[in-house]
Amino acid sequence: MVSMKVYIKGVGMTKFGVDRKSSHERICEVIGECLKSTDMNFDDIDVIFASNSESERNEERQKHQGPMLSTLFQREMPILNVPAGCAGGGVALWNSINYLRSSDCKNIMVIGYDNIVSLTSEIITDEILMGSERICEQTEGLNFPAQNALVAQQYMMKYGATSDDLALIALKNHENAFDNPKAMFYKKKVTLDMIKKSPVVASPLRLFDCSISVNGAAAAIISKDPGNIEIIGSGMCTTSLSPIERKDMTSMSSTIKAAKTAYEQAGIKPEDLDIAELHDAFTPLELLSYEDLGFAKKGHGAELIRDGTTKINGSLPVNTSGGLKAKGHPISPTGLAQIYEISKQMKNECGKRQINKPKYGLAQNVGGVGTMAAVHILKNLN
Amino acid sequence: MIVRWVCEKDNRKWIYPIKKCLYCGEPVKKQVGRKTKVIGLTKVNIPSPLHPITPYNIILLEDEFGNRMPKKTMKDYKIGDVYSIEKAKTDSAVIITKIKYDLGESLKESLNLLNSFDIEKQDKVLIKPCIIEPAYPYQTSNTSPKLLDEIIKMLKDMGVSDIIVGDQAMPGNDTTASAKKSGILDVCKKNDIPLVDLRKSQYIEKTEDGMKFSIAKEIMERKVINVPVMKTNSQLGVSGAMENMLRVVDENTQMEMFAVDIEKTLPKLIKALPKFVTIGDATIGMHAQGPTLLGEPAFMNMLFISKDPVALDSAFSEVGMLPTPEYIKEATGINEYDAYVKKLEIVGDELEAARYHLKVPDKTASAHPRIKLIDAKSNPLVFYTALKASSKLVGLPGHEINIAMGKFLTEEMVNGKKRIIAYGTDAINKLKELNITPIAEVPEDMGDIEKLTLLKSILENPDKKSVSVKDKMKSKLAGLGAKIKGAF
Repeated sequence: MVSMKVYIKGVGMTKFGVDRKSSHERICEVIGECLKSTDMNFDDIDVIFASNSESERNEERQKHQGPMLSTLFQREMPILNVPAGCAGGGVALWNSINYLRSSDCKNIMVIGYDNIVSLTSEIITDEILMGSERICEQTEGLNFPAQNALVAQQYMMKYGATSDDLALIALKNHENAFDNPKAMFYKKKVTLDMIKKSPVVASPLRLFDCSISVNGAAAAIISKDPGNIEIIGSGMCTTSLSPIERKDMTSMSSTIKAAKTAYEQAGIKPEDLDIAELHDAFTPLELLSYEDLGFAKKGHGAELIRDGTTKINGSLPVNTSGGLKAKGHPISPTGLAQIYEISKQMKNECGKRQINKPKYGLAQNVGGVGTMAAVHILKNLN
Repeated sequence: MIVRWVCEKDNRKWIYPIKKCLYCGEPVKKQVGRKTKVIGLTKVNIPSPLHPITPYNIILLEDEFGNRMPKKTMKDYKIGDVYSIEKAKTDSAVIITKIKYDLGESLKESLNLLNSFDIEKQDKVLIKPCIIEPAYPYQTSNTSPKLLDEIIKMLKDMGVSDIIVGDQAMPGNDTTASAKKSGILDVCKKNDIPLVDLRKSQYIEKTEDGMKFSIAKEIMERKVINVPVMKTNSQLGVSGAMENMLRVVDENTQMEMFAVDIEKTLPKLIKALPKFVTIGDATIGMHAQGPTLLGEPAFMNMLFISKDPVALDSAFSEVGMLPTPEYIKEATGINEYDAYVKKLEIVGDELEAARYHLKVPDKTASAHPRIKLIDAKSNPLVFYTALKASSKLVGLPGHEINIAMGKFLTEEMVNGKKRIIAYGTDAINKLKELNITPIAEVPEDMGDIEKLTLLKSILENPDKKSVSVKDKMKSKLAGLGAKIKGAF
């Protein structure tokens, strides 16, 4: 039972790309933007939840994130690190909401930051591979594109979706990223032909079915003090490491359970949503998520992309930011970047990709192929 | 084969062994699925350090219980195909198995794939692990005690009662102390099986192709299961099935084998031995500066099994993408290795699908970055004491020195090298023959402390052109001091 209201006071996000900024620089940048959008200053923050997964292995070689942040902030305060792979940002937010509700603190800052593109692509592939099961999957070469490929294939065989449907998801998200100055693919034209002719990474998935690894940071300040955006639902669930082990490979039970909690807390239904930012690390994940989040009945997810429902001018725009696919996927910041986009849409600050006055928005942040999921529902009080 | 651990009461399954269900506390049952068919497939085109060769296929298998497992393969399958592994047809077949949590089941399944195992319950069996130095199991210098335990368990289940475990540590190391630290002695004690130090064995002489070998009696009189750790070897390239059998002969024979040329004499030794089966321990394995503690664990999680040690080492070398060691080429025929490898009968996991990029050892590296080795097939006593000495000097500042070893030194090998130390009698004599004056001479019989004091003084002093009488006295006194201290 939700006992206390939680509001989003401010959000911040760096441009996602392949620059070589340090974590310090990125964090300062997002905090600056976060605070600028509020009437608060940094002293008003009581607790920090951080999420980071790559600083141990890249040039920063930093394992101890809390004290590292304390050094940067020049403050003695509770700082918790919540590494949860690709779901890091969303899981950190879920933790911070629950902490805020159960403690006497007033304001919490949640930050996600990662410099994943600082190693060779082979090493990055290997680093990300560590998020999967070691003995049965890693040793058999089942990297994340391959896992998603097998899931997509099972879905296609069972429900008749095609590679063309996946291509439409990629195209939609690239079209949205074209107008997002913070996206990796900002002002970069990607056509359906380019998508369909891109090299096969793990059949049936092509290069453009995969999100792009980037560096970046994102942050949000949540508070008990009323604001214009309220977090009305927050759910999180973890399930088995391997999608192959699940009874039904074509759905993500973690998303279904996290969404159920979030919808129940929010008191709304999927059809009430006006916008959603979904975890399209691979295009089939967006397709599966349509169904797991209740946007479509099982096996009918592809209809939403075919009939334009999830396009920016559709009745439920999905990934107006460009998604992980075209905005970029920096691992830990991803979930908070989704909150950033929905908040900006609710504040009417999205320029060319602005949709019409969204009241309810949903963010779904996933780790692995549905290994864990954090689902948050935001309400625009304006 | 797909294995799961199932609690029927709670309808839960685990992919690894759990003794009791976490919910009801009841023992879980092992479920082994053998009828597997392909229900999904993907062709992967992106390489990674664990899977450097692309494209490769991954097939998704499902067994009669609905359990699933991915399998990497280079072969093309179709959805609906039945997936099965055929038994070996020849004695030279190499079984490659990627272990899936259950080492015992993987071992049994792999041995079942041999065309015949050739050990009966009435046989006297010697298990020949690799016990080269005192090192903990995680350091992987020695055979995994877990694997040894599973082999003993399997033999006992077969009804074999006369089992011994036998090996001798590297020259300069104590076998029992090595077995103790490695956990092997505990396994022997637990199973009530004697550990035999082959260094103290009676030896039987056997001549093969002009070379005389003094072979431990137990090796000649028992059925042998050779259990080497699969490693890289900074001197020989690979330590595996063949190299592990080097320590079944007495130390004099070992020295003689190196003196004649180890690359030529090792294949002869293998021919001189009775037939044996090898269970290559790559449960972790070792790469980079193996085969001693300077190497790194490789986390291969595999078994290599064969009745043909040359085939097994060839398969390991290929899987690890290592340069082929000369002694393997010598065994297969110098110009015939490529053709030999192409014809290798591989059973279980495919060789191409098992590729694992192992780090190639640097032949010049020692434990100290400033101490370089020039090794000309030196014998193990010289080679490993030099490595040990360099380990003792780690952390000290210094200037490059080159330790020359072995009787096959050539002018080309030492050309351009400064501050050369002749290490061992072979190198001392050879450098004299080549008219090269080393900065110092370190014969085999020099005491450890004396050796270290001498090396340290040379390492630290860049201007030292030769060793003075004062240096020699100093190191002698240090050695003497250590001896006196030890006496009290």
